[in-house]
Amino acid sequence: MKISREYVRGGKTVAVSAEHLEGDRWRVRVGEQSYEYHAVALGDGGVRLAPVGQEFDRSFVAYGAPAGKEFMVRVNGRTHTLATPANKRGGGGGGSDGTIRAPMTGTVLDVMCKPGDTVAADQALVVLSAMKMEHKLTAGIAGVVLSVAAKKGGTVDQGAALVVVEPKKEAKE
Amino acid sequence: MVKNPPFRRVLIANRGEIAVRIARGLRELGIESVAVHSEIDARCAHVLAADHAVLLGGNTAAESYLDIGKVIAAAKSSGAEAIHPGYGFLSENAAFARAVRDAGLVFVGPNPEAMERLGGKKAAREEAIAAGVPVIPGTEQDVGDAGLIEVAKKIGMPVMVKASAGGGGRGMRLVEREQDLAEALMASRREAKASFGDDRMILERAVFPARHIEIQLIGDRHGNVVSLHERECSVQRRNQKVLEEAPSAVVDEALRQRMGECAVALAKRVGYDNAGTAEFLLDDHGNFYFLEVNTRLQVEHPVTELVTGVDLVHLQMHVAAGGKLTDLLAGKDLRPRGHAIEARICAESPENGYLPAAGLLRLVREAEGPGIRIDSGVYTGWEVPPFYDSMLAKLIVWAPDRATACQRLSQALRDTAYLGIPTNVDFLRRIVDDTAFRHARLRTDMLRLRPELADGPKEPPEDLALAAAVLCQAVAPRAGSSSSNGSNGNGGGQGSTAPWQDLAGFRLFEGTR
Repeated sequence: MKISREYVRGGKTVAVSAEHLEGDRWRVRVGEQSYEYHAVALGDGGVRLAPVGQEFDRSFVAYGAPAGKEFMVRVNGRTHTLATPANKRGGGGGGSDGTIRAPMTGTVLDVMCKPGDTVAADQALVVLSAMKMEHKLTAGIAGVVLSVAAKKGGTVDQGAALVVVEPKKEAKE
Repeated sequence: MVKNPPFRRVLIANRGEIAVRIARGLRELGIESVAVHSEIDARCAHVLAADHAVLLGGNTAAESYLDIGKVIAAAKSSGAEAIHPGYGFLSENAAFARAVRDAGLVFVGPNPEAMERLGGKKAAREEAIAAGVPVIPGTEQDVGDAGLIEVAKKIGMPVMVKASAGGGGRGMRLVEREQDLAEALMASRREAKASFGDDRMILERAVFPARHIEIQLIGDRHGNVVSLHERECSVQRRNQKVLEEAPSAVVDEALRQRMGECAVALAKRVGYDNAGTAEFLLDDHGNFYFLEVNTRLQVEHPVTELVTGVDLVHLQMHVAAGGKLTDLLAGKDLRPRGHAIEARICAESPENGYLPAAGLLRLVREAEGPGIRIDSGVYTGWEVPPFYDSMLAKLIVWAPDRATACQRLSQALRDTAYLGIPTNVDFLRRIVDDTAFRHARLRTDMLRLRPELADGPKEPPEDLALAAAVLCQAVAPRAGSSSSNGSNGNGGGQGSTAPWQDLAGFRLFEGTR
């Protein structure tokens, strides 16, 4: 058995694979690096893993689960949300493509722009209320507002495009 | 006289972890519990924990947990004798407390008259002044935006703008520059209107640097009020508490006594007769200023329970049924023993501006071990709805001393996993492991001044993390599900929260590939 994945680390795509050797031993490749691990499933969804030859010095309990199109893994006291190449930017508000998407399901409290407006990268364009808190959303780029789909008072689903900003050609930062 | 059990059946007008915790307390007393729930909460942990459940309908708080008529009708139809409101929602709504009483039921909380005298920040401030409790310079009246700006000029910047009806940091803002006041007032009014249906604002001088110290009170219907000592809740982000502990490292016996006496005097003055909390700011010179009274059980009540040995929900039920504190607490030594710390686990991303998240919890692993208490409202497979508060659970530890409690909390957070949506678990651990926290150098503005605690480490994941990710998918059956990238990519928004879509890969539609 062998499984292969690709994750984005520091802006670069890294090929990662796990190949079953025998018993609880696996060959793991992370980019150019090769490792051998003992890996045993625990009853609670966790996996105990230890580098072969260092079982008594370095062993870890890891928990992993998909989160949308990313994969969350918790090991050595830290949580990592690993993006796949198709989805470099995870969740989060205004990406840098100029489209403001609702970071989560909520209600639009205010829309502070209209098509044709010239806006700054850090200018709040939409105020969204979600989980009882207000969030100001920015486009992340300077430019001109192309379209506004958000309506004041409307409910929007997570990921819904609210405002599209076209980057300024001769933008000055 | 203490009635046992104090009631036969009690309705819990709340959801999530606090409703689970109350149901547990009721069961221990031999009382049947009735849960209420919205449509989307039909399988929420609190519904599963209760003996009975009543659907309120709707999804938003306004059409479910905040609907007084529906909640009282549910109590009537289920044969409940009393209603415990938990915290948030209707817990500090005097009109609700009165409606409960008018319906011939018992409200497990203070009488509505006491609640009104302390509920609004303005009213509470006036009562505190009358009771001889020190208060912060400011105004008790909403004199309109222009008037409030005048007051701010008089008392000096920085100021705190607060919702008159508020609590929990909603509608509350720190304003440092005069020219930002108008916009802050507008935003706070809007938040307050949405949260409490009341957009009145008050304004006070911001006391800096300060610690947040609060006194837990319990009163009965016979005029007794007892202080169960202080909690320190100085670690806050945007005026919401993050970590709470008891006792405070800087409150000595003399100060504890003085603050306790002030809180009790205020409570007695208004005829307070259930659990409540008087909140204070404490400056570096040992001066304390009254902030407000929360007329309900608080989120952080477990730390008081762990150091005093009392069960606040049990006490609430007994005093609501007419029990006397002199009987209930007879022979009990209430002095704080050891040290307790609570961490609020929330579905939010401190690394990303504290953005809250909703969605499917694919793997929940809660810590266990000596001195560890989990008050949780979630489980593996629960889909966190976008309609309510982002708190998932509370991790509370007890140890004989503060240093050991810090170690215990750090390890427990290390052993904690809530996967599928972003949480603040790593953030909590960064704070607990921080030198300032370990040395109890706490400030209400410490997180604002130390943004690196929220931002987290910048290094990319080490090879171990990537190896762990593939090994989890290779070895642990649940982790591997539906992660064959692209198989459920339907081109829609990122991180979809649709349960059927997300679950399709592993259980419900097995064999349909």
